[in-house]
Parts: sequence; structure tokens; C-alpha cells
Amino acid sequence: MNDCIAGFAVSCELPERTGVDTLQGEAKLNRFFAEVEKRALRIAEISIRDRDEALDLVQDAMIKLARRYADKPADELTPLFYRILQNRIRDWQRRQAVRNRVMVWFGKSGEDDDYDPVAAAPDTAGRSPDEELESYEAMAGLEVALAGLPGRQREAFMLRTFEGLDVAGTAAAMGVSEGSVKTHYSRAVHSLRETLGEHWQ
Amino acid sequence: MNERPEGNANDDFATKAKARFDESVARIDGATQSKLTRARHEALAELAAPRPAWAQWVPATGVAAAAVLAVVMWTGGPSVNDLAAPEVASDMEILLTEDSLEMLEDLEFYSWIDLDEELSTEPENHVG
Repeated sequence: MNDCIAGFAVSCELPERTGVDTLQGEAKLNRFFAEVEKRALRIAEISIRDRDEALDLVQDAMIKLARRYADKPADELTPLFYRILQNRIRDWQRRQAVRNRVMVWFGKSGEDDDYDPVAAAPDTAGRSPDEELESYEAMAGLEVALAGLPGRQREAFMLRTFEGLDVAGTAAAMGVSEGSVKTHYSRAVHSLRETLGEHWQ
Repeated sequence: MNERPEGNANDDFATKAKARFDESVARIDGATQSKLTRARHEALAELAAPRPAWAQWVPATGVAAAAVLAVVMWTGGPSVNDLAAPEVASDMEILLTEDSLEMLEDLEFYSWIDLDEELSTEPENHVG
């Protein structure tokens, strides 16, 4: 058994694929990406507050998954994909922090264009304006509250709640123990409820 | 009065949060969806893409370049003295962190993307 198959290691190469394997892998990955891509984009967007950058990170994660892990069993793809994406997000956030420090050092603001949630607001989906506004405001409030959480708590909450990963899958995606996931998730829910209040809908 | 157990309240909150998140996913506009679809197709094209022979040397070159850059930043340049030491150390950590090295190891991959984009006759294949 190839070492790459065991667990969720993300640093090993897979052997060369045959033509038939490639076709099967392509169909499997196409289904997987189509199923997960919009949620992944929103999770990345909530993490870095920039849709275009989030799109780039999601595309990077897709390409790396296709390049290195196309032969993985379907049930391992979700944690693997999110592990790659979370690494990309953390790397982006660290680089952005350095960039902002450098910009401040040179006397410039690192925030050239502030995130505009109204401009980024997508189309409605057949609901009344009041319902749409209520839903949008609730999600906007949740995003602000999520932005105030420590990174690991935010990751645990989004992977467990938004993507629906179980504790083991979340642990694999985050690269931490299951106990750590439970702790981060519990603290995240507690903080979010406290921030948003009991009447948040 | 009845007070619901904490676990139930947490579950209710998570259910509401999931519903709001799903609604926000459903509101993703057509243009963004189109970009996601193109991103997916570019990723799938990677499955059949051959890797150029010269690419095997790029990861080692990238790591060596990072090491040289680190030495230059650490030892030379008047700007280093103007920064607080912990911040310099933190920036070095970021530059040399595992994820960054992973990006360097993937240089041949991003080089291939650039080459592919240059050769492409369809400019709409690019996301972002």
C-alpha cells in the first residue's frame, strides 16, 4: 500500500497515472469540485474578506488536489481539499500581515481598498426583499463575529458547521487532534453566541 | 421556567448558522460561479498535463534561492536595524515557514501555469 494512501498526508507524490485512471479520476474530481466549490469559496472569502483572492486560493487548492491526490478515495477528498485550502489561507494571511507591516514602515496603508460587503453581495434567489435583507444581515453579523475569533476556532467552526465535516475529518483538515477540534469548536460556538446574542436568527 | 440544556442551544445555533451560510452560498452570482467553473476545468486539465523534464530541478533551485534570500536579509541591508528584532524574526519565520517552502517546491507548477497561460489562445481561461 502506498504511504500516500494512509492518513491525510499532503506532502507525498502519487505514482504516474494511466489514461483510464485519468478519465476516472477526472470524473470523480469533477463531481467533487462541483459539489464543494461554492462552499469552499465562501469559507475562504469569510476567512480573508476578499472574493477575488478567495477565488485564487480555491483554484490553487483545486489544482494541487488534482495534481497530487486525484487517486485518493472519494471519502478522503474533502478533508484533503480543505487541508490544502486552509494552508493556503493561513499562508495568505501571514503574507498579508507582513505586507501590511512593510506598507506601514514605508508610510502607506496596507489596505488599498476596504472590503465592501454590499458590493460583494450576490444576487437574490427568489425571496422577498425583506427576507433577503434579513438573511443578508444575519450572515453579515455572523461573518463579523467569525472575524473576531482566533483562527483555529474559526476554522473548526466553519469546517464543522458550514462544510459538515465530522470531528475526525475536521481534525484531518486542520492538522490537529480530534480533542483539539472539540475544544476549538466549543469555544467558537460559545463566543459566537455571546457576541451575536440569543435573538440572532 | 424551562431552560434548555446548553448542548441543545449550541445545536440550534449551529443549525441557524448553517442555514444562513447555505443561503449566502445560494446567492453567489453567475459571474463568480462562472469563474469557479473555469477554475475547476483548469484543475481537471492538470490531470493530463505532462511535467517538463527541467522542472525536476526547480524545487531545489527554489529552496536554494530562499536560503540565499534569507542570508541576505538577515545579514545585510540598513533597513534591518530600523525594525524591531522580534518583527524581523517573525518575518523570517513567515518567509521560511513550511507553507512558504511548500510554495517554493511548487514553483515548477506555477511556472507551468504561466507557460500554459502564455500559450493559451483563450484569455477567458484565467480566473481572477
